[in-house]
Amino acid sequence: MQNLINKFHEFLPSLIKGTQYTIEITVLGIILSTIFGFVFSQALLSKRKLINRPVRILINVVRGTPLLVQMFYVYFVLPDLGITLGALEAAVLSLSICYGAYHAEIFRAGIMSIPLGQWEAATSLGLKHHQILRRIVLPQAARIILPPLGTSCIILLKDSSLASVITVRELTRSGQLIASTTFENLTVYSMVALIYILLTQLLALLVHSMERKYRLK
Amino acid sequence: MIEIVNLHKYFGQTHVLKGVNLQVNKGDVVVVVGPSGSGKSTLLRCINRLEEVQEGEIRIGGENILSKTADVYRIRCEVGMVFQQFNLFPHMNALHNVTLGPTVTKKMPRRDAEALATELLRKVGLSGREHSFPSELSGGQQQRVAIARALAMEPAVMLFDEATSALDPELVGEVLSVMKQLALEGMTMIVVTHLMGFAREVANHVVFMDDGLIVEDGTPKGIFENPKTDRAAAFFSKIL
Ligand SMILES: Nc1ncnc2c1ncn2[C@@H]1O[C@H](COP(=O)(O)OP(=O)(O)OP(=O)(O)O)[C@@H](O)[C@H]1O
Ligand SMILES: [Mg+2]
Repeated sequence: MQNLINKFHEFLPSLIKGTQYTIEITVLGIILSTIFGFVFSQALLSKRKLINRPVRILINVVRGTPLLVQMFYVYFVLPDLGITLGALEAAVLSLSICYGAYHAEIFRAGIMSIPLGQWEAATSLGLKHHQILRRIVLPQAARIILPPLGTSCIILLKDSSLASVITVRELTRSGQLIASTTFENLTVYSMVALIYILLTQLLALLVHSMERKYRLK
Repeated sequence: MIEIVNLHKYFGQTHVLKGVNLQVNKGDVVVVVGPSGSGKSTLLRCINRLEEVQEGEIRIGGENILSKTADVYRIRCEVGMVFQQFNLFPHMNALHNVTLGPTVTKKMPRRDAEALATELLRKVGLSGREHSFPSELSGGQQQRVAIARALAMEPAVMLFDEATSALDPELVGEVLSVMKQLALEGMTMIVVTHLMGFAREVANHVVFMDDGLIVEDGTPKGIFENPKTDRAAAFFSKIL
C-alpha cells in the first residue's frame, strides 16, 4: 500500500502537467468548435447555394474521415503548403474543425426546431435577423442544443488524447512516457483513466447547470 | 391611409394574389372574408412584408412600402400583426413579450417600455398577469397578450389573421371584445375572420376574396344582403 502511494506521488506531477495541456486543448477546442459550429450552421441555413454548398462539402469531408487522419493532415501536410503549426496548435485546429462540423449539425437542428411562427412574430415587431436569433430563437433552441452539444464536448475532451500521436505531451502522452520507462502500466494508466473521469464529470456538471438555466418555465 | 394597387403575389409558379386593389381609410375596420385558400392570409402578410411581392403597390400614409428604398424594419413597426396561433415567445413572461418590440426596435428605455406594457396589459384585461409565462395562460389570455404586444409598437394599422380561430368557443368573446374596444377607439384594422356577427357589428367595410382577387367590396349590410356574385352568395349561404 505504501508502495502504491509512493508511486502515486512520483507520477502525479508529470500527469498533472499533462492534464494542464489536456485542459488547454479541450477548452480552446470547445470554444473554437462552438464558434465554428455556429458559423457553419448559419451557412448551412443560408438559402444561397454559394454559401451553403461549400460548407456542406466541408462537413461531409470532415465527417467522412477519422480525426486522427485530419490531425496528421494539419500537422504534416499543411507545412508542405507553407502553413507550419506547432503540435499543440495543430491539435487544437483539427479538433475545432472536426467538432465544428458536428456542432454545426447540432445548431442547425436546434434552430430548425423552433417554429416559423416565432420568427414571423419577431419579424412583425421590426426585429432584425440577428436580433431574432439572439433573443428569440437561440434561447429556446438552447434547450434542444445543449444536451447533444454537451455530449459532443465530452467526446472532444476524450479525443484530445489523439494529440499524443502528434507529440503533444498531454495527459495520455504523459502517461505513455512514464509507463514506457517504469513499466508500471497498471498504476499509470489507471491514474490516467481516473483523471479523465474526473475531467469528464466536471464537464458534465457544467453542461448540466447550463441546461438548467435554459429550462422552460 | 392604406392603398393597395394591383397587387400580385406568386409562390414559385403559383399565382396567389392576382391583382388585388383595396383602399382603407383611417379608422376603418375592414373585414376580409372568403373561402380557404383565397389568399386572405397572404394579403395580410404582404402588408407588413412578411411575404415578397412580385408586382403592385402598397401605400401606407403615402409611402410605397414595396419600393426598394423603403425601410422594411420601420414599416413593420407601423403595422401590428396578430396571428391565429398567437406566437407568443414562450421563454418570456407576458410583460417581457410586450416590452421586447419597443426596447429592441425603438430603443425605448426599459422603464418606459414596462410602464407602457403594464398599461396595455391592463387595457386587454390582464392586470396582475404581467409575470405569467405563456404556458400559464389560457388561449384567450395568450391572444390578448399578443394584441398588447402588437399595440406596444404603436402601429398605424392592426392586422388580425383569424385571431379567434384557434380558441375554444367560450374564449372567443374575450378576444373579440378587446378587438371591438380597439375599433371604438378609432384603430385602423384589417381583420380576417369567419365570424359574420363581428363583421356586421364592428366592420364598416367588408371585402370578399375569391381565388386571389377581391370580388366584392362594400358595407357589411350591402355585401351580406345583396352579394353581386354567385360565388359570394354561395359562400354566405353556407356560413351565415
Ligand atoms: N408559403 C407558401 N408556399 C406556397 N404556397 C403557399 C404558401 N402560403 C400560401 N400558399 C398558397 O397560397 C394560397 C393562398 O393561401 P392563404 O393562406 O393566403 O389563404 P387563406 O385565404 O388565408 O386561407 P385560409 O382560410 O385557409 O387561411 C393557397 O393556395 C396556399 O396553398
Ligand atoms: Mg389564412
